[in-house]
Amino acid sequence: MTKGVIVPLESARLVEYAVPVDCYICEGQNNFDAEFCRYCSAPMALAHQAETNKTPPTLVACMGVSGVGKTVYLGMLMDMLSRGSGDTRLLARGAFSINMQQATVSSLSRCGFPGKTPNEPDSWNWVHCQVRTGKSRHPLDLIMPDMAGEALLEEMDHPHSYRVIGSFLQKCAGTLVLVDAMKLLEGGQEQEFFTMKLTSYLGELSQKRKNQWATRPLGVVFTKADRCEECMADPEGFAKAHAAGLWQQCHERFPMHRFFASGVAGSCAWRDTYDEGRVQVPLRVEPHGIIEPFEWLLGKLRKPRA
Amino acid sequence: MRYTIAKRTAIVALLTGVAGTVLWHTGAVPLGAYIGPPLLAVAALLALIGSRPPYCQPVTPEPEDCQQPRPVAPADPDNPDSLVDQMLGQGRYALLLRPQVACDLRAELFERTLTELQNHMALVPDGAVVLGDTDGNAGELEIGADGSPRQPRSVRVAPYFLDRYPVTNREFFEFVASGGYEQIAFWDTAIWPAVLDFVDRSGRPGPCFWNDGCYAVGRHDHPVVGVCWYEAAAYARWAGKRLPTDAEWVKSGAWPVMLSNSQSSQRRFPWGDTMDRSKANLWGSGPGHTVSVRQYDDGVSVGGIYQLIGNVWEWTRSDYVPSYFAPEEFIAESPLKSLRGGAFDTYFDNQATCQFQSGDIQIARKQNIGFRCAVSVCDLMLYQESTRDDQDSDLPEEVLA
Repeated sequence: MTKGVIVPLESARLVEYAVPVDCYICEGQNNFDAEFCRYCSAPMALAHQAETNKTPPTLVACMGVSGVGKTVYLGMLMDMLSRGSGDTRLLARGAFSINMQQATVSSLSRCGFPGKTPNEPDSWNWVHCQVRTGKSRHPLDLIMPDMAGEALLEEMDHPHSYRVIGSFLQKCAGTLVLVDAMKLLEGGQEQEFFTMKLTSYLGELSQKRKNQWATRPLGVVFTKADRCEECMADPEGFAKAHAAGLWQQCHERFPMHRFFASGVAGSCAWRDTYDEGRVQVPLRVEPHGIIEPFEWLLGKLRKPRA
Repeated sequence: MRYTIAKRTAIVALLTGVAGTVLWHTGAVPLGAYIGPPLLAVAALLALIGSRPPYCQPVTPEPEDCQQPRPVAPADPDNPDSLVDQMLGQGRYALLLRPQVACDLRAELFERTLTELQNHMALVPDGAVVLGDTDGNAGELEIGADGSPRQPRSVRVAPYFLDRYPVTNREFFEFVASGGYEQIAFWDTAIWPAVLDFVDRSGRPGPCFWNDGCYAVGRHDHPVVGVCWYEAAAYARWAGKRLPTDAEWVKSGAWPVMLSNSQSSQRRFPWGDTMDRSKANLWGSGPGHTVSVRQYDDGVSVGGIYQLIGNVWEWTRSDYVPSYFAPEEFIAESPLKSLRGGAFDTYFDNQATCQFQSGDIQIARKQNIGFRCAVSVCDLMLYQESTRDDQDSDLPEEVLA
């Protein structure tokens, strides 16, 4: 048996319901108390936090094929910058912004990688943070989602299947594209094809000359490069040698691009688990090349576009 | 560098030539005074066109990058003591203290050798040490495949000496200079075909990051890195030592104290139970690369062993045994050897403890992996009959007994 509960009608509450709140990502109209956007499933907290800012937050994407290490990269980046040992310091805005950092650090410190990011956008981790660099007085507000690789692939193959991805990339100011260096080294072409698809997709995303992706910075980060000395020493040369198509496309379509190499696990092995099957495990954590691509991107974002 | 200097010189010559030509045209100077500059300009232009861009030039080390150190002087065949001098200079005192050799040493040389041992190595007494995750970091992962919790295990070790510092570039240079890579007896038979592949950047035998058979200037007392497990084991054999076992390494840092028959207390770090990043070269506390083995003195262990934590991971002779999950779940492409201690780029505190174990394949030659050596007390002759009566050795009674 259920009991009816009488909620007093408050005029203020009615007014709040009457005024819709625009989603910060897709600009769809939502109720003021919605947790996620009803159209794109982005957290509405982003819109509420953005309202409090004088300048709107900048969107930055981190993309790559499933399993390339997007969660690890973003989680480690947040943790390293929030420790504040270098010139660039990061401060999370909102409790939800710390979830990814917590999950990544907790897994890595126990010699495991964080679980696979689900395809459903309402399960993704979003980061809203303030980044302060040594040179600049004003902090930069950034929004970075940890998007699932399979969802990205689906959106590229079938545009508008994930509204959140399309809307986000339209408004995005710059991106880091992650590529698995070890798979390239082994001769696998999938990584290169995916990244080329992604860059082609970005190239076609905005037809307006002013907003073209060619005017935005694109950093290509080779992940798991700590096991490939050649890649760590010369990422550009590695790209030319092992991903010539991607290298060519970047040079032709993205004048503001650069290649980087990064690595987190010093050594890896495999573990047979009952529930997930065979999974890779890091035997120690030694981050290299994590901050450099992000600082390069920040530098490009701070400079007024030509 | 050479290209830049050549380019700058050519540009200066070109500008001088152009300026001279202009002055001559305007009549500011007579022709005779500036007959040279136009020629100079043409020559400079030809030099600029002819010089190759830097990416076309072969990469050769700058002379100041590599300063060939001198190995210890070879022994004089007419003077039997000079061989001992040479071996002591090379750091092979442990070999001289082997019973087969030490019994023939003169008392004075024996004392010198013993002093070298005490200066370079620390004595770790026998006893039990607990291996495995004793901090509870493994949490719920510390459950075996059969569902039963896996307990840390206790291992008993005999007394041994452990190097006070990791093996340095200078020490390893003696091994390379004495032909260590050519003397096959020092190497495991399994690796004989691959020894020729253990070369430096110039293709000469030596650690991976050396050049022209020597280390970079100013890095003589940095720990040697870029050596695989086999190279470390070969060096240890050459020096009359061996790599420490996992249990020995942990015991020297954790320094366990028996509280009762069944329980012991051991430290998480050589200096105590709390992480203090100022005492070790780790991520965020150091310059981001190796430092001299003489730095971070505050991180010394109870037994007087330095830099067990940080600077470089250290090879041990034991196999890697995962402690965060059941060994039967573990799969590696090739057998892994155990690494201990963390390095300059180790990120997490809990991976820079005495208990934490990492691993890598035996042929891994990485910029953050070095080693130190050990030698069992039972393998050394620590007294001679003639000197025993004097009892002037600093070694404890139980070791001499």
